[in-house]
Amino acid sequence: MIWHITKREIYDNLNSLRFALTTGLLIALMATNAVRHLREHPKRVQKYHDAVAASVNLMNSHANDSLYKLAQQGPGKLYKKPSPLHFCTEGGDPLLPDRVEGGSPFQYAEHLTGVWKLEYPDANINMKNVGPDVSQVDWAFIIGYVLSLIALLFTFDALSAERERGTLRLMLANSIPRHTVLISKYLGALISINIPFILAVLLNLLIISTASSVHLNTAAWGRLGIIFLIALLYTSLFLALGLLVSARAQQSAVSLVILLLMWVALVIFMPSTFASIASSSSSSMSPDEFLKHRRLLYDKLSDEYHDQLWSGELDEKTLTGKSEFFIKHAEGRERLNQEFLAQQITQVQHARSISRVSPATLLQHLLESFAGTGFERHLQFLENVKTYARQLRQFVVDTDRADPQSLHIIGVREGMTKRKILPKAIPKFEDTFSFSKDLNTRAIELLLLALFVVALLAGAYLAFVRVEI
Amino acid sequence: MMMTLIRREILDNLMTFRFAAAVFIMLLLVVANTAVLIQDYERRLAGHNTAVKMHQRQLHEKKTYSAGMEKLLVDRPPNPLSILNAGFDKRLGNEVLASHGYVPSLWDANMHGSDNPFMDMFASMNIVFILEVVLSLLALIFAYDAFAGEYENGTLRLVLTHPIGRGYILFAKYIGAMLCLIVPLLISLLLAVILLMMSTSISLSTDDFLRIGGIIFASIAYLSVFYLIGLLISAATRRTSTALMLSMFVWGFLVLVYPNVILAMITRPDAWQAHTASTFNKIEQIWEEFDRERKHLLATDDFPGEDWGFELRGWGSRYAYLWGNPRSLLYTYESVMEFHGFGEKDEHKMPHAQNHFRFLGSEVISTADRTWLIRKPALENIYIQPANVKRTWLKLSPVGLYDATTQALAGTDLRGIRDFFDTARQYRQQVVDYLYDKEAFGSRQWFSSDKEAADWSGLSQFSFQRVNAITNAKRALPDVSLLLTINIALFILIFLIFVKSEV
Repeated sequence: MIWHITKREIYDNLNSLRFALTTGLLIALMATNAVRHLREHPKRVQKYHDAVAASVNLMNSHANDSLYKLAQQGPGKLYKKPSPLHFCTEGGDPLLPDRVEGGSPFQYAEHLTGVWKLEYPDANINMKNVGPDVSQVDWAFIIGYVLSLIALLFTFDALSAERERGTLRLMLANSIPRHTVLISKYLGALISINIPFILAVLLNLLIISTASSVHLNTAAWGRLGIIFLIALLYTSLFLALGLLVSARAQQSAVSLVILLLMWVALVIFMPSTFASIASSSSSSMSPDEFLKHRRLLYDKLSDEYHDQLWSGELDEKTLTGKSEFFIKHAEGRERLNQEFLAQQITQVQHARSISRVSPATLLQHLLESFAGTGFERHLQFLENVKTYARQLRQFVVDTDRADPQSLHIIGVREGMTKRKILPKAIPKFEDTFSFSKDLNTRAIELLLLALFVVALLAGAYLAFVRVEI
Repeated sequence: MMMTLIRREILDNLMTFRFAAAVFIMLLLVVANTAVLIQDYERRLAGHNTAVKMHQRQLHEKKTYSAGMEKLLVDRPPNPLSILNAGFDKRLGNEVLASHGYVPSLWDANMHGSDNPFMDMFASMNIVFILEVVLSLLALIFAYDAFAGEYENGTLRLVLTHPIGRGYILFAKYIGAMLCLIVPLLISLLLAVILLMMSTSISLSTDDFLRIGGIIFASIAYLSVFYLIGLLISAATRRTSTALMLSMFVWGFLVLVYPNVILAMITRPDAWQAHTASTFNKIEQIWEEFDRERKHLLATDDFPGEDWGFELRGWGSRYAYLWGNPRSLLYTYESVMEFHGFGEKDEHKMPHAQNHFRFLGSEVISTADRTWLIRKPALENIYIQPANVKRTWLKLSPVGLYDATTQALAGTDLRGIRDFFDTARQYRQQVVDYLYDKEAFGSRQWFSSDKEAADWSGLSQFSFQRVNAITNAKRALPDVSLLLTINIALFILIFLIFVKSEV
């Protein structure tokens, strides 16, 4: 029986105006998305490869000079690898910095240079962009805004219109339980929406995968599958909301007004309003304070090591003092950088978790984490950089230790090995995107979304069972 | 008769659920967001005040004129009307150096303040954006059944049996619905203005009230455009369900899809890179010529040598270099000297050094002015023109038109921000005049504070006044008239369809 009513629903929908309009709109949007991705993505990848090659070359040239030079200059700029699924969601990527700088040793005097440290560049606020600022047409936009609106347009009259016309009474006169009607209405709408959506998605992927410049591997296809399932869950949420309101409202017009206003509040306003509330509640360390801490650190250390630092002696005590000063200063500055960044990150995460009340934000977050873009991905990149920095420092110490003639004093030329090192032996930075890393936050978001769907469906059922026809 | 019709329309609309919902949602969104935005504005204002004080203090701490040149920062105050439409107010730089070395422009500005730059990831909110989305939706919800509903009920036929022109009926419908729609708009905006006035940090001038009045007028025109679009669909389709679906898709297209898709489709022609490079090259050559003259002067001096500082070995610091930024076409010669004492044997070099710096000062100023003549049109060409093309395309949708109008009225559009940089350029001229007046370049205080410290007391403080409301209105005029033209055109179109249609 369920299938019977579902089929009727689908036939009804297929012939309607909204189906035709939906198909046209979704296909146009997805095609735009694909074309834009094909135009932008190769440039992005090229830029990344060029930048990585340049910084690896620089590091190798330092290593060719000596181990000392490598220990001093560090790995140079480390870049974040662009995700092949960038078209799914941009996730604020243009704003997030694409690199961490592992170099720029402090120059104390002309022939007195410290050792490298990690420096985190600021988010790129594009202050030179005088053009209008509008969000991208990515999957997150198409699903989050357009598809959710369409879901409401498919369900707002599902029950109320039948009640108005009296066909609902007719249907219930046959011995059909109410939940069967509800479930088949839900399935009917879900399938009718997904026909144009799947068409549009297939067209999008077809355009993207035919181009030779953009390559999607098996893992990427798997992730696309998950993204599609999330889209399904998200659409279900709005379908359930539509059914719930439609079951209670006496007229379709009233139902539509309620739904549209709810949609506007949930999808458009809640994410940004909650984020701005969060940004006003907590504030991070000011740059002035940060600079003050940095100055204090330098003053303290240079007082402590003053004698060794400015002495030209080459005895072991002076060299060790210098080395300790360099390393402590670099470590201290790196720690300060990280603390400053961590405060900013905490604030952003706070805002992100508050704005999770809106299903549109949940979708955005989930899509970001499965597409490998956005904020969580950026945090993973920072983590990768940290691990690599540790690895490289360990490599320098180990290589130096292997030479018995060396004094094992890192950071000063006289204290380190003079042996040649092979560029191949130096660990290379590999920015990997791992999927399973923070599955926890993702699972929470997924469960939250599922919970919304179940709650709304249950609500729709209760409303429909109790309503008088 | 006319009054009866209008009264009927108003009553019909007022008693509906959609009217109550409209009032409720508008009040909720506008008031909640105004409260949040006022807080945000207060924070930005506090940041601005701290920055102004800090820059003032830093300048007065500088004991030599040349050192002061790198601390002559001027700040752009946040615009209180950015609460209504933020525009570029938060996005573009709000502090810029107004030293003699280069002519300040929008592209040299920085962002001060202790804000977390990562927070920009979240979409920003302002009142006009709420109106853009909600008003258009409400207008369509009010309009879709205006004719289609009456066709279906048969009441239209009843009305037309009376001796009354169809134009009057159309007009009555329009007036009745607009009067109802204006109610939530006015209530919510009035509440927002009351909240603004209650905040202690915001003082609204008469001009600001005129601007707000202009924004309300533009909002009504925008509302009317969408109501007429709804009416057009309703008159053309004759069935409520079809009219509703079409209205919703038209709304989705105009508000959500079109602005995003059109910007994704437009790309900048690649020629700009070559243009940037060639202009930068030209500018570089001008400064290299300056450098050659400088070196020539040094070589023909009584103390021939390359050193620009005459090997003055005093206590203090000095540096000087030519530097440039190819992206923003900036190139300048920066030299900062902060000596506070010299040895005996340097004393006889002083007149020569002063002579050299006097020459350099005027030369740097004139070179900077000459560079600006090349830089200004190039920046216009590379950055402003493509942005204007995008803006023009956006105006094909009433949403873009409304956004542009309110930005112009609030003074947060690009022109409003550029006014600040015009003022900053005038201020730089004042600084230059002041330096000439004090004969700063040839003075000992230019590089050293051992005899006497630099005197900043006579330099007037920078202040930026927004243009008056009339200018804002003039800037908004083309877009407003376009909005009104669309209104009239739609009205005529609906009239034609309605007159010719059979009932």
